[in-house]
Amino acid sequence: MQTAFVLWLAATLAFVAMKLAPGDPAQALLAASGATPEQVAERRAHLGLDDNPVLQYARYLWDLVRGDLGRSWLHGRPVGQMILEQLPATIELALAATAVGVVLGMGLGIVAALRRASWLDTAATAVAAIGLSTPTYWSGLLAIMLFSLHLDWLPATGQGDLSHLVLPALVLGFALSGSVARLVRARVIEVMEEPFVMAAKARGVPSWRVLLLHVLRPALAPALTVIALQLGFLLGGAVVTESVFARQGLGKLAVEAIVWRDLPVVQGVVVFGALVYTLVNLAADLIQAWLNPRLQEGLA
Amino acid sequence: MKRLLLVYVSLAALLSGCCTPLTAPTSPSSTTVPTPGPTLPPVRIVYGLTLAPSGIDPHVNASSELGIPLTSVYDTLVYLDPESGDFVPGLAADWELSGDGRVYTFYLRDDVAFHDSTPFNAGAVRFNLDRITSPDLASQKARFMLGPYERTEVVDEYTVRIHLDEPFAPLLDSLSQVYLGMASPAAVQKWGDEYQLHQVGTGPYIFEEYVPDRYLLLRRNPDYAWGPVVYEHTTAHIDEIEFRFFTDPATRSPALETGDVDIMGEIPPQDAARLEASDGFYIKATPIPGASLMFFMNTTRTPLDDIKVRQALLYATNRQAIITTIFRDTSPVAYGPLAAETFGYEPGVQDYYAFDTVKAATLLDEAGWTDSDEDGIRDKDGEPLVLDMTLMDWGYIPEVGQLLEAQWSELGIGVNSQVVKYPEALEIAEKGEHHLIPFNLSGSDPDILRKFFHSQAGFNWSKISDADMDGWLEVGARTSDWDERQVLYSQVQLRVMDEALIIPIRDYVNLNGVNNRIMGLEYDAQGWFPWLIELSVGIQ
Repeated sequence: MQTAFVLWLAATLAFVAMKLAPGDPAQALLAASGATPEQVAERRAHLGLDDNPVLQYARYLWDLVRGDLGRSWLHGRPVGQMILEQLPATIELALAATAVGVVLGMGLGIVAALRRASWLDTAATAVAAIGLSTPTYWSGLLAIMLFSLHLDWLPATGQGDLSHLVLPALVLGFALSGSVARLVRARVIEVMEEPFVMAAKARGVPSWRVLLLHVLRPALAPALTVIALQLGFLLGGAVVTESVFARQGLGKLAVEAIVWRDLPVVQGVVVFGALVYTLVNLAADLIQAWLNPRLQEGLA
Repeated sequence: MKRLLLVYVSLAALLSGCCTPLTAPTSPSSTTVPTPGPTLPPVRIVYGLTLAPSGIDPHVNASSELGIPLTSVYDTLVYLDPESGDFVPGLAADWELSGDGRVYTFYLRDDVAFHDSTPFNAGAVRFNLDRITSPDLASQKARFMLGPYERTEVVDEYTVRIHLDEPFAPLLDSLSQVYLGMASPAAVQKWGDEYQLHQVGTGPYIFEEYVPDRYLLLRRNPDYAWGPVVYEHTTAHIDEIEFRFFTDPATRSPALETGDVDIMGEIPPQDAARLEASDGFYIKATPIPGASLMFFMNTTRTPLDDIKVRQALLYATNRQAIITTIFRDTSPVAYGPLAAETFGYEPGVQDYYAFDTVKAATLLDEAGWTDSDEDGIRDKDGEPLVLDMTLMDWGYIPEVGQLLEAQWSELGIGVNSQVVKYPEALEIAEKGEHHLIPFNLSGSDPDILRKFFHSQAGFNWSKISDADMDGWLEVGARTSDWDERQVLYSQVQLRVMDEALIIPIRDYVNLNGVNNRIMGLEYDAQGWFPWLIELSVGIQ
């Protein structure tokens, strides 16, 4: 029910935003073709752009309900098919970035928590803050300048072998690590002061065992939600990062569609992103419950 | 089955008596054939394209890029001989035009089959034209190349008539291009919306596989025997041609130099000189006919509504410096709206507006634009001479804009420039919010001028309304006599320069980087589309 509402909201926002955006899709598509003004007008009518917006909206929702994302005005192909084609590249980047973000974020968070109030804490917290607040279009360009142009270690843009994935995954993962690190740090500090951790320490359990067995599991549960949120977000297309690194993926598809006013594609990507986002969140809730038995009662 | 086919293809390659010895394939991924007897593994080359096209159905989509592979997948009814400018038979063995110029009758070859064995006939031609003109297909280019098209009539199995509402001289030129290539009706019906990924024509290459954004693979058509006279060979030599996409210009020449790619389109000018000087590669520079890269001056917006200011800008522009600095002298200077390569080009435009800063300054003074407040920018009635320049992000347009700005600033002309995406540029130009905006467009027929200088034109970015030009352009589109057309189009080109509607910059040249082992790279009259049938691989 909630999922349906989120999807409806996303679909509606996409529709309204594209309606408000200036520009005539028919003109953009046909300007260079030598079409007469009458022919451009005919095309506009054929695309349904002259119809009452309410009618357009109703038709669009009805198609969505039937699972029909329509046909791209620019490519002339089914939108669903085009999304599926771009999906592997997006999944690849989303998973790689999430992995980087989780490892880096947890590392920073744990170090900061264990060496609380030391220079290490300050440094780790600062790195996390930088990650959190640096937009990827900027950190991406810096990374390209350093690793591709200056050091010539990695390819700057494009697709291909693993080396093409490293930079975008690092840049995006770094951005993701900030929020993970802050959460993990706070939770680890909190859990460390719990009576059961004190007790374990008092029993003489080695500190690495305390950390692994007693602290991390409860401390990580909230981080998981954040990670899932981010992953869901990334699976909808890391628009900016994909653009900076000229990668394929849903983001690239969306940007091109927005530039060309290719309504069906914009709407398709947005609705698809919303769907993935809600599904990943649902999955995260379930895993949460499994990690934290107290929540199961609430769910049941 | 597939193995048998490959053996057959290789044998055919051997037996066809190709003039050059074949080398082993470079790509390790190419299939090796278990050899019963003296066969060679299939020869495969890689062709680098510069952008992943937005859709590659030539009937639907408009990109030039799609034509590079697909010109060899589809045959056209007629072909344009790039040498003579004459149309020669293709799938149509002969044709005639009715006295009133409204009906073309095509007599088709009776020995042609599509790659899926569907026979080619008059019904297939009608099917294709019906498809292209159907509103549901939403064609972005092909439909409009047919001009005042009315309908197609099947006269008999191998005779077909195209009826027009009024005479349309560029029709044969249109029919010679891949956008109006003949597709298999059976395949179109079978694949519907996904036909793009399963295209079937009658050409020298078969559309094997297309994975959008990744690669497109063509396989030699061993049965091809109906090529036009402009093709030197009867069947193709290279067994497989793989197309890959290199959107980032910086990656193109490295891909060529590392051997990943054998042919690469649109090499950046600075890399071209280096490749040309190297041992392993050469540059095939192909001039593209059509509209030169030109900056349109908005004649309805102050101060460009004053012809003296427009002429001053022309005199103030050092085109040769732009060509040398940005294009490393790989492109010719443009003097008028048509590239010199285009049929109907009027050489008289070369006498106009040679670089002359003194003349430019005098004209500006005469027009009342002087630097009265001595801030380095001319002004008139308190208004500074600052021009809004809208630039697109392709074809070195931002660089050209920068250089214009620098050249003009010495004469006290200010420029306020912004780089935008194409659809946004369209909106700005449509509303007339620009002073200056560039464009270039390829095309082999001078009717292309109608897209820019007719008062009703979509690209009328000079915002001109000239009854004489409207008349010449309309008559030119209807007239079949070439000499009469030439006169009309010469008048248009001279009028454009007399009225100083544009600042021409350069004729477009496609710089193709080629590995030395590749021979026979030839391009059609459009300059974009290679005749892959002529390619062969020699020993380095």
